[in-house]
Amino acid sequence: MTRSIKFTLKPRWNEIEKIRNRSRRFLASHGLSDDNVQAFTMVISELIENSVKYGKFETSNNEVIVDIQINGKTVTVEVINPVDETVYTHLKALDKTIQWIRGFQDPFEAYVERLKAVAKKPLDDDDSGLGLARIAYEGQAILDFFLSEDHILNVSAVSNP
Amino acid sequence: MYPNASEVKANLVEGPTTIPIDVKFSSKYSLLIRSRNGNSFDPDTEFSKLVLEREGERIELGRCRILPEPNHEGYAGRLIFTRDVYDLESLLFHNKLVRLQNAFLNLPLILAHKHKISQSFKNYTANLTYDLSVYKNLFDSLDAEYADEPENIKASLQETIIAAEGRKFMAFLDDKLQELARIVRNFSREEHERHGFYFRKQLWNFIRCAPFMARTNLKPRGYAGDSEMMSMIYANDYWGDSTFAKLLHKHPIEHPAAQAVRNRRHVIGKIIEAMKSDGCRNRSGKQKILSVACGPARELEDILLAADDCRGFHFALLDQDRAALHEAAKLVDQIESKLNTHIGVDYLNESVRTMLATPQLKTKLGQFHFVYSMGLFDYLTPPVASAVLGKLYQLLKPGGEMVIGNYHISNPGRHYMEYWLDWVLFYRTEEDFKHLLKDAPDAEVDVFFDDTGVQMFLRVKKKRKMDSDSSFLPAEV
Ligand SMILES: Nc1ncnc2c1ncn2[C@@H]1O[C@H](COP(=O)(O)OP(=O)(O)O)[C@@H](O)[C@H]1O
Ligand SMILES: [Mg+2]
Repeated sequence: MTRSIKFTLKPRWNEIEKIRNRSRRFLASHGLSDDNVQAFTMVISELIENSVKYGKFETSNNEVIVDIQINGKTVTVEVINPVDETVYTHLKALDKTIQWIRGFQDPFEAYVERLKAVAKKPLDDDDSGLGLARIAYEGQAILDFFLSEDHILNVSAVSNP
Repeated sequence: MYPNASEVKANLVEGPTTIPIDVKFSSKYSLLIRSRNGNSFDPDTEFSKLVLEREGERIELGRCRILPEPNHEGYAGRLIFTRDVYDLESLLFHNKLVRLQNAFLNLPLILAHKHKISQSFKNYTANLTYDLSVYKNLFDSLDAEYADEPENIKASLQETIIAAEGRKFMAFLDDKLQELARIVRNFSREEHERHGFYFRKQLWNFIRCAPFMARTNLKPRGYAGDSEMMSMIYANDYWGDSTFAKLLHKHPIEHPAAQAVRNRRHVIGKIIEAMKSDGCRNRSGKQKILSVACGPARELEDILLAADDCRGFHFALLDQDRAALHEAAKLVDQIESKLNTHIGVDYLNESVRTMLATPQLKTKLGQFHFVYSMGLFDYLTPPVASAVLGKLYQLLKPGGEMVIGNYHISNPGRHYMEYWLDWVLFYRTEEDFKHLLKDAPDAEVDVFFDDTGVQMFLRVKKKRKMDSDSSFLPAEV
C-alpha cells in the first residue's frame, strides 16, 4: 500500500521551514526511524531549496509541488517546479551531476570529491554544490530527474529501493 | 598563456621588518620577486608572511623563503612557501585560494570510512589480495621468460598458457565470487556501498590492469556502460598489456551478466528481422524504428544485410553521448558503402531525461512502428522510468510495439558488477517493470527474458482501435 502526501508552496525561503516540519511529521507518523526521518527531511529540504533557487516562476505558474510517497520501506519524494530556457545550462549540470554521483557504488566517493571541489571555489561563490551529493550520501537516496513537455522539472529521490 | 600575469605589489614581513617587493607569477608554486627599494636578499632568508596587495584587496600568505637566482629576467630570485603551499595559478588568475595540502582536509573522513567493515570481509579481501599477487607474479614472470621471442611465437605461447593455467585462474575467480556472495548476502544497501568502497581501495592495483575493469571504474565519459565498454563486451576477447591483465579483462566479460548484453542485441535484431516481412509501412513504404539510448547501435549490422533491408526501414537513433552517435554513424556509413545503398537515419543527440520536453518530439519525429531501448532503464528510478515509458508509448503508432530492456533483480553478476566494476544498476522484478506503464488502456503488456535469464524485456503492444473492438481487420498499409 502506498501512503502519500502532497504540499504546494510559494518559492520563498521562509516557506521551506514550514514544509520541512510538515514532511518530518508525515514521515515520523509512518513508522520511519528517527535517523531515517532526519535524513529524508534533509533530502526533501535540499530538493526544495534547489527548486526555489533554480526554478523560473511566473504569476500564473508560481508554485513548487512536493509529493512524498511511502511504499513499504521505500520513500520517494518528487519536487516539481517550472523552468524555462534560461535554466537550460543548470539542467545540463543537474543531468551530469546526477549521473556522476550515481556512477559511484558508494556515494561517499562523490561526497568527498565535492568537498574537495568546494575547497577550491572562489570565496565569492556561495553555491556550495554539495546538496545533491549530500542527498546521495547522508540521505542514502537515489536521485533522478526529468523535464516534461510544458517545461515542468521533476527532481526525485528514492530511498532504500 | 597568462595575459594578465602582470606584477603585483607585495610586502615580505619578518618580525618588525617589512620589505616592499614586486612579485610575478613564475610557476604554479613559485613567484619571481624583485625588491622595490634596491635591497638584495640573503639566500635562504625566511619570512613569516607575504602580503599581496591587489585591487585594494590584501591577501596574506604564510611562511616563505627566497631561492636567489640573480639576473633571472631582472628578478632577484624565486619565492617559495614553506608551510602552507599555495596554488599561485589559482590565486593570481582565478582568484581562488587553494592550498596544495587541501587534499588532506578529507583524510580523517576517508580513513574513518574503513570502520564498520566486517571482519569476515576484511579477511576475505586480504586473502584475495594475497592470492591475486601470487597469480600476478607468476603470470608476469612467465611473460618475462619469453619476452624476447618473435611476436608470433610469443602470441602462441601466451595462448597456450591462457588455455591451461589462465583458465584455472579464471575458475579461481569464479570461486572467489561465490565466496563474496556468501559473505555479503545479508548486507543492507549502505553496507554493500561501504564494503564495495573498501574492496576497490584494496584491489585497485589489480583492477586497473584490466582494460574493462579500469574503464567501468573510471567512467571517462561520466557514465557506466559507454560505447567503448559495449565494444569490449561484444568483442569478448583477451585484451590487456600482460597475460594477467588479459585474464582479468576477459573474466567479467564472460559472465552471464555480460552475455546478456550480447544476447539482447540479437533479441532486438530478430524482432526487427521479423518486421521485414510485415506489411505495416508508412506512406513512403518504410517501417519507422526508434532506438532510445542507442549507443553504437551495433545491432544494425545484424539486421541490414541487403540493400532491400535498408530500403524497408527508417531509423531514429537517440543518445546523450555524441561519441556513441558518431560510432553509430560510422557503422551506418560502412553498411551503406558495403551494400552500395542509402539508409535513412536521424541522429538525435539528446538526454532522455530532457527529451520529454521537446514539444515537437511527436510532430518532428512522427510515430514509430517499433521503439526499443536496451541499456537505459537500468539507470532510471521509477518516477523517471514511468515518465519516459509513457512518452515512448505516445510515440508508437497504433499497432506498433516497443521492447525495453532491464536487468532482472536476480542478476547473478550483481555483486561482481558492484564490488569489482563499481557499476550499479536499478534492478527490477517483472511486476515492478510492468507497473511502470500507467494510463495506457490500449496497451498489451508482457515480459520475457533472454537465454541467460538476466536480461528482462518489457514488450508493449499498442492495440489498434479495431484490435480492442476484437474485430479482425487486415494490417494498415
Ligand atoms: N531544481 C533544479 N533546477 C535546475 N538546476 C538544478 C536544480 N537542482 C540542482 N540544479 C543544478 O545542479 C547543481 C548542483 O546542485 P546542488 O548540489 O544542490 O548544489 P547548489 O544548490 O549548491 O548549486 C546546481 O548548481 C544546478 O546547476
Ligand atoms: Mg542545492
